[in-house]
Amino acid sequence: MLELVRGSLADILEVGPGTIAEGASFTDLGADSLALIELVEALERDLGGRFAGFRIDDEDLEDLKTVRDAVDYVVSKIGTSS
Amino acid sequence: MAEILDGLPVAVDAMGGDRAPAEIVIGARQAAQELGIPVLLVGDPAYLRTLAPQPGVEILAASEVIGMDEDPGRAVRVKRDSSLVRCAEAVREGRACAMVSAGNTGAAMASALLRMGRLPGVSRPAIATVIPVPGSTPTILIDSGANVDCTPPMLVLFAQMGWALATERFGIREPRVGILSIGEEATKGNALVKEAHVLLEGGAAGPDVHFIGNVEGRDVMSDRVDVVVTDGFTGNVVLKTLEGGVKAVVGGVLSALTADAEIKEAAKAVLPALTPLANELDPDTYGGAVLLGVEGVCVISHGSSGARAILNAVKVAHHAAADKLVGRIEAVIASGRG
Repeated sequence: MLELVRGSLADILEVGPGTIAEGASFTDLGADSLALIELVEALERDLGGRFAGFRIDDEDLEDLKTVRDAVDYVVSKIGTSS
Repeated sequence: MAEILDGLPVAVDAMGGDRAPAEIVIGARQAAQELGIPVLLVGDPAYLRTLAPQPGVEILAASEVIGMDEDPGRAVRVKRDSSLVRCAEAVREGRACAMVSAGNTGAAMASALLRMGRLPGVSRPAIATVIPVPGSTPTILIDSGANVDCTPPMLVLFAQMGWALATERFGIREPRVGILSIGEEATKGNALVKEAHVLLEGGAAGPDVHFIGNVEGRDVMSDRVDVVVTDGFTGNVVLKTLEGGVKAVVGGVLSALTADAEIKEAAKAVLPALTPLANELDPDTYGGAVLLGVEGVCVISHGSSGARAILNAVKVAHHAAADKLVGRIEAVIASGRG
């Protein structure tokens, strides 16, 4: 899952995936709110096919500050998807 | 009435803007009637279906509207049936050749970005605004507000995209690209400008982009340069300053010419000569700004746009699609890599 988040974010920010540390904050990576929404939509597209009903709640976006936060959140959401 | 042109329509966000939907719809219908450009009016079906049928005008229903004050990214996520989102989807799905909106600028950008996607090599799309140069070809100012904080590679990207637009919009064979700074010398400027200058001087934008070096604020409305590159914060300040400055000067001249009955009478001989200049300086003449860097054509008109601005925006959007603006941007970005 870390590689999926890292890869999606790398595509959005036009950087190499290896430059995105697991503990890096989105702010430090230069990802603004729109980039975060791009990330969310990319993850929903990639994971929605594998896990029916997978969706990231907009209310939870504010709590996602780092790459690790996003990975942990996605894993927890997959666990609750039908 | 003009014969309707072949090809895909321009999707028009009928619900976006201070004067929507009435003025937006009038402008779009005029574009079909007078220019033959097919349009796809996107918005409230209950309203749009009250309109008399017209050749070249189709309707696409959208039940929601993104307000001017809504958070752009969130609004695009939540209001999936909004007129803005449906316009961008129509372009993505090949039902429209371009989109026009006078609605929430941030949401228009977000819709285009999230639904059309970014072009390869584009880290961040930018807004390009046409600045009138009386008696000469307008200047393109990029970025005029999309990206407040920029990096040197982003300015190189803006140079490339602005260059592509200048070739398409004004048919300039070798647009002169300058970077906005506080002096002409290469040593002048902040760290961002100096680093971007080095990159552009070194050919980072590719062999076709003719970089002329630093330009100053006073050059923006001159014929010295065709594309002025800057970060979005500075670009927006420049844009609003010019708008306010031109408005103040025009207002002052009109006041002077109508100061009293005698002057007003004499001015009748002069005012008609000023009409072409007035049109040149009127933002409605240019239709709107163009969002560059997404996989489709997106024209963002001013929120106060009336019918004339929308007609011109549709014309600009249609021309950009017909002249393959997106392909030009892709090509110049590819030429600058490696």
